[in-house]
Amino acid sequence: MKGFLHSIESMGLVDGPGIRTIFFLQGCPLRCAFCHNPDTLKRVGGQEVTPQRILEIASRYRSYYGEEGGVTLSGGEPLLQGEFVYKTLELLKQEGYNTCVDTSGFGNPMYYSKIFPLVDTLILDVKAFDRESFKNLTTIDGFDSYLKFINDLECYGFRGQIWIRHVMVPGYTDNEQSMNSLIDIIKPISHRVERIEILPYHTSGVKKYHELGIPYRLEGVKPMDKHKAKEFEVMANKLFATTLQEERKAKERKRQEQYKKLKDREMASDKEKTEMISNLRKLPLLSDVAEEDLADVLKEVILTNIKAGDYIFKTGDPPEYMYLIYKGQMKIYYNTIDGEEQIFYIYTDGDFVGGLNLLEKTPYEYIGQALTDCQVVAIPKSIFDKYFYDSPIFLRSVLSKSFERIRQAEELIQRLSTSNASMKTAGLLLKLVKRIGVETDDGIRLELSMNREELGNYSGLRRETITRKLGEFKELGYIELVGNKVIIIKDIEALEGYVL
Amino acid sequence: MRDNLFDRPEMAEAWEGFEPGNWSEEIDVRDFIQKNYEPYFGDHSFLEDATENTKQLWDHVNALIQDEVRNRTVKVDLERFSGIDNFPPGYIDQDKELIVGLQTDEPLKRIMNPYGGFRMLKKSLDAYGLKMDPEMEARFNEYRKTHNQGTFDAYTPEMRTVRSVGLLTGLPDAYGRGRIIGDYRRVALYGIDYLKEMRMKDKINHVGLANEENIRLREEFSEQIRALDEIKSMAAKYGFDIGRPAKTAQEAVQWLYFAYLAAVKENNGAAMSFGRNTAFLDIYIQRDLKRGLIDEKTAQELIDQLVIKLRLVRHLRTPEYDELFAGDPTWVTESIGGIGEDGRPLVTKTAYRFLHTLINLGTSPEPNMTVLWSEQLPREFKEYCAYMSIKTASIQYENDDLMRPLYGDDYAIACCVSAMRVGKEMQYFGARANLAKALLYAINGGIDEIYRDKVTGDYVQVIPGIELNTQEVLDYDTVLESFKKVMDKLAEIYVNTMNTIHYMHDKYAYEAGQMALHDPYVHRWIAFGIAGLSIVADSLSAIKYAKVKPIRNDAGIAVDFEIEGEFPRYGNDDDRADELAIKVSEYFIEALRRTPAYRNAEHTLSLLTITSNVTYGKTTGSTPDGRKKGEPFAPGANPMNGADQSGALASLNSVAKLPYKGVNQDGISNTFSIVPMALGKNLEERVTNLTNILEGYFKRGAFHLNVNVMDKDLLIDAMENPDKYPNLTIRVSGYAVRFNRLDREHQLDVINRTFHEFV
Repeated sequence: MKGFLHSIESMGLVDGPGIRTIFFLQGCPLRCAFCHNPDTLKRVGGQEVTPQRILEIASRYRSYYGEEGGVTLSGGEPLLQGEFVYKTLELLKQEGYNTCVDTSGFGNPMYYSKIFPLVDTLILDVKAFDRESFKNLTTIDGFDSYLKFINDLECYGFRGQIWIRHVMVPGYTDNEQSMNSLIDIIKPISHRVERIEILPYHTSGVKKYHELGIPYRLEGVKPMDKHKAKEFEVMANKLFATTLQEERKAKERKRQEQYKKLKDREMASDKEKTEMISNLRKLPLLSDVAEEDLADVLKEVILTNIKAGDYIFKTGDPPEYMYLIYKGQMKIYYNTIDGEEQIFYIYTDGDFVGGLNLLEKTPYEYIGQALTDCQVVAIPKSIFDKYFYDSPIFLRSVLSKSFERIRQAEELIQRLSTSNASMKTAGLLLKLVKRIGVETDDGIRLELSMNREELGNYSGLRRETITRKLGEFKELGYIELVGNKVIIIKDIEALEGYVL
Repeated sequence: MRDNLFDRPEMAEAWEGFEPGNWSEEIDVRDFIQKNYEPYFGDHSFLEDATENTKQLWDHVNALIQDEVRNRTVKVDLERFSGIDNFPPGYIDQDKELIVGLQTDEPLKRIMNPYGGFRMLKKSLDAYGLKMDPEMEARFNEYRKTHNQGTFDAYTPEMRTVRSVGLLTGLPDAYGRGRIIGDYRRVALYGIDYLKEMRMKDKINHVGLANEENIRLREEFSEQIRALDEIKSMAAKYGFDIGRPAKTAQEAVQWLYFAYLAAVKENNGAAMSFGRNTAFLDIYIQRDLKRGLIDEKTAQELIDQLVIKLRLVRHLRTPEYDELFAGDPTWVTESIGGIGEDGRPLVTKTAYRFLHTLINLGTSPEPNMTVLWSEQLPREFKEYCAYMSIKTASIQYENDDLMRPLYGDDYAIACCVSAMRVGKEMQYFGARANLAKALLYAINGGIDEIYRDKVTGDYVQVIPGIELNTQEVLDYDTVLESFKKVMDKLAEIYVNTMNTIHYMHDKYAYEAGQMALHDPYVHRWIAFGIAGLSIVADSLSAIKYAKVKPIRNDAGIAVDFEIEGEFPRYGNDDDRADELAIKVSEYFIEALRRTPAYRNAEHTLSLLTITSNVTYGKTTGSTPDGRKKGEPFAPGANPMNGADQSGALASLNSVAKLPYKGVNQDGISNTFSIVPMALGKNLEERVTNLTNILEGYFKRGAFHLNVNVMDKDLLIDAMENPDKYPNLTIRVSGYAVRFNRLDREHQLDVINRTFHEFV
C-alpha cells in the first residue's frame, strides 16, 4: 500500500491542536481560485510512501507532541487517497497518536466509515455558502454533495472534534450574511465544532501559478485585511454560540412539551382514580407487605404535596426517607462542574428513589426537584428497616431499577462525551462566575486559586486544552487574562451561548 | 580532626537557623544548598514590580547605556591599571542603592587592563581617541611583559600562519581568556577570613618535589591569598567587612557581588560568567522573609539591583573585537534551574525573581540568562520560561539531563555553553578552527584559497603534505581521506598553540582572585571549537550524493564549485547528511586528543560561534555546498540558511543528533527563530507550543537552544529606526545582544537567517 506524498512540514503549529507534523498528500478534485498550493493538485506525483513510512517519520517527532499534538494529514485533498489514509490512520492509532485530517469533503466515500472513527480532529474547509459560488470558486458543482458529507459525518462513525475553516476573499464573503450562512451550513455538526477560523486570503501562492504557467483566476484581487478577517472570525464565533444556545433551548422546549402531553393524558384517565390507599396497595413495592402490616406502614408514611420547582431532596441529605412517586414528575439531577444542570432521570408515577441510599446508609448524592406538581410518599427509615429491608420483592425492584439506571448512565456518558472543549471551558467559566465572580467596571473578575492543571482536571480537559481554549476566548474578546490567576469575563452572553 | 564551624561565634550568628552538614565542617557550597534550599513548584503570580528606587536607578544608568550605544563612545579610567583593589569606590546614586559596587568610580567607566596584551589596550584607546598617562605607559613597558608578548615569543611559524589565514580564529592570545567562574558564593557563606585561613593551610600542606608544577602551584596559592586580602580591602572601601560571613539576604547578595566585582576589576576575560546563584541566594531570602526582615518587594529589589550591577559590567575592547564578537558581550552568564541529584528541582522563587528582572528592568543581553532544562522541571517553571522567551527573546536553554550525569548538580555555564563544576573545575578557552576552510585545504593541497603572502604576493601552503586535487568531478573518498589528513595536522597545531597560550596566560595574566574562590586543586578542561560544521556536512554530502565540479584558477586552486543533482542537506533530519556532521566532529576530537594538553587538561570540543559567523564567511572562499565566497556561515551548529526545508522540528532533530558526551562536550549551540504567528494563534497557545518544542527537543538528547520569537518586520524596522527600539535584544549563537549594537551587515544576517514562519 502506497500513497503519494507532496511534502512534509515537521512543525505545524496552527493546523490542528498542539504541535503537529503535517503530511501534505498529493491530489485534489477541486480547483479553488485561491488555492496556494497548485502544485499539490495532480493526483499522482510527489514521492511514494507507505503508511509504515509515515509512522516512522511521525515517531521522530513524537517527543514534541505534548498532550494535544500529533499527526495531520492534509493536502491536496487527503480523502482522495482513501485506502492509504485509512491504513495510515489505523497504524497511527494503534501506536497511540493523535490524528487530524484536513479536508474539503471530497474524497472516496468507500473508505469514510473506516477513516472517520480514527480521526480525532477534523479540519473542515467551508469553501462557499451556496451552489453557485461554490461552483464558481472550485469549478466543481459539488455544493450538494458537500452538504451531504457534513450531514453524514456522524453516520460514518466520526466522534471527534471539528475545526471549521473558511478562506475569506475580499469582495466575496466578507459580509455578515456570509457568516450567517456559514453557521447555517455547519448546523448538523454544530455540537462537534470546537473552533471556527476565518483565514484571510493571501497572495503568496500567486508566484507558483506563474512558475507553473497556470492562469490565476483571482489576478488583481488584494489580500484580505488580517484585522478585518479577525473581526469576522469573532462575529462568526458569536453567531455560532447564539445558534447553539437557541438549538438547545428548542430541544428543551420539545422535551417539556412531551412531558406535558403525557401529563394531560394522565389527567384524563384520572377520572377512574380510586382511593389513593388502594392504589398504593397495588404498587409492586408494597405488594410484599403483609396485610396486617399495611396499616402500620400507611400510618407512618408521609404523603406530601410538592409544587413544581420545589425540592424533594438535595445533595448531602441524610438517608432518612425513601420516596415513592404517587403522581407527577420529578427530575433527579446534579450540578456539574461545567456549571450545567446534569439531569440523570425523570421519574414518574410508581417510581421510587432512595432505596439504595437507605440500604447502603449513604447520603443523597443528587438533587430531586419536582418538574410538575407532585404527590410523593415519603417512607421513613424506621418503616423501611422494618418492612422493606429483607423483602425479596423490594430488593428485586431495587436491582432492576439499578440496571435501568446503569443503562441510562451509559447513554449519558455518550451524550457527555460529545460536549466539546469549547462547551466545557465556557461551562467552567460560568460556574466560576457564580462561585467567585466579582462585578467590576471591567467585567466580572475571577481570582483563581487553581492553576491551569487544576482547572483542567476540574473541567475534564487537559491542561494544554484549557490553556488553548482560554487563549482562544481571549482572542474572541470574551475574556481577558491578567497573569495566570485572574480572568475577567468581558462577554458573558457569548459564553452562555456554549452551555444550556 | 574536622572543625565544626558552628563553634565559631561569627559563623554561628550568620548561620542561625541553617541545617548543618559537611558544609559546616569544610568548604562545600553544594552541600549547604542541598541541606537548606526549598524547591518552588508554584507559578509566577507572587512576583512583585520594581520599587521606585530601582526604577530610578535603572532609568539613570539606562540613559547612560543608550548614550554609549548611540554615540559609540566609551569612558575609561586613564589613571590606573586593572586590579582588584585599584579603584576608589563608585556609586550610581548611593541613597537608592541596596547593593553597591562598580568596576571603577563611575558607572560604565572602563578599566585599562594591560596584562593580556598592551597593544590591544593601546589600540582600544586609540580607537576612541583616548590617551593614557605617558608615564604609566613608559613604566609598564619598561618593567612588565604581557601575556600577548609571552605567547608570541613562543609561537612557531606555523602557529602564526594558521592564525593569520584565519584557520584558527579568536584565539585568546591578545586578550583575557575568561571562561573561569569563581565560586563567588563562598565569600557570602564563609567570609574572606575563613577562605584565606584555608588557602594558607593548603599552601603549607603542599610539599614535595620542587618540580615545575609544584613550584607554580605554591606561587599561585600565594597570589590567591594576596587576592583575598585585596577583595576584603576593596569591600571595606565601600564600608563592608566581608571578612565574616553574610548575616542577611542583603549581605549575601552584596558579598556575592563583591566577589564577582573583584573578578571583573582584575580581569577582562572574553566571558566573565556569574555561576549558579539563585538557589543559594534563595536560602538567605527565605530565611529573612520568615524572620520578617524583608517582604517580597524587598526580595525582588535585591535581585533587581544585583542585576542592574551585572548589566553595567564593561571591558575596554577595540571596535574590531566588537565586530568579531558581534556586539559587546560580556557573558555574565547565570545558570538557572536544573534538577538536584536527589530529583528535587533546583528551581526556587529566586529563579523566578531573577528571570523577572527582564520585565522589571526591561530586556537586556546581560546577564546571560541560561535555563538548565530538565524533563523533570516543574511544568509551571517551564511555561514561565517559555513565556519569558516569547516576551523578551533573552533566554537560552541547556540540557541539564545531559550535563548532570557528567558534572553533578552544582555546575554552571561559562560563556555560552561550557559547563564546569563551580569552584572545582576551570577551563582553558580555545576559540575555534574553521573546518570549512580546512575542507577547502583538502581540495587545494593545503593552500589557503584567499590569503596571499604579504611580501611575495603568492599563495601560502598552510598545511604541508596534502596533495592538490585535480579531479574533474570530486571523488568523495579522495576528498575525505585528504580532509582527515588536514584535520590531523590542524589538530596537532591547534593543541600546541593552545598550550602555548595558556602557559603564558597563567604566567603573565593569572586570575588570582577567581582561582582563590576555587578548590586548591582543580580539574582543567581545554576547550577547542569547530566553526562551519554545517558547511562541511553539506559539502561532503554534495560530493557524495551529487556531482561537484571544482572551477579552478591558473594556480589550480578551486575558487568555485558547480553542483549537478540533488543532495541531502544537514538540517532536514536526513541521516545521510546528519551522519557526516557527526563523523567529522568525532574525528576531530579524536585527532585533538592525540596531542597532550598543558597541565593535563582534558580535551573538549564545542560547536559554537561566539565569534561572528559573518566574519568567518568573509575570510572563507566558495565551498562545495554551493555557498559563495564571503557568504556568512551558519551560527554554531545551526544548519545553513535555507538548507532546512522540512520545517523546524526536522532542523531541531538534526542538531539534536550531534553527540555531546565525550565528543562535543563543550557545547553545541543552536539558534531557533520563529515568527509569533507561526508559534500559535495567541499567547496561551504559543506558551504551550514553545514549552512542548523545548520538551521534545531536549528529550531527543539535544544540548542547547537559543529562542527568538519575533517578527522579521520588527527587526527590519529596528534596523531603520534604532531609536524606536533602544533595548531590543535577540539571541545569537550562545549569547544575547542588543540589536542596535550590531553593524548593518550583522543585522542583515540576523534578518536573513531562517525564521520559521510556516502558516
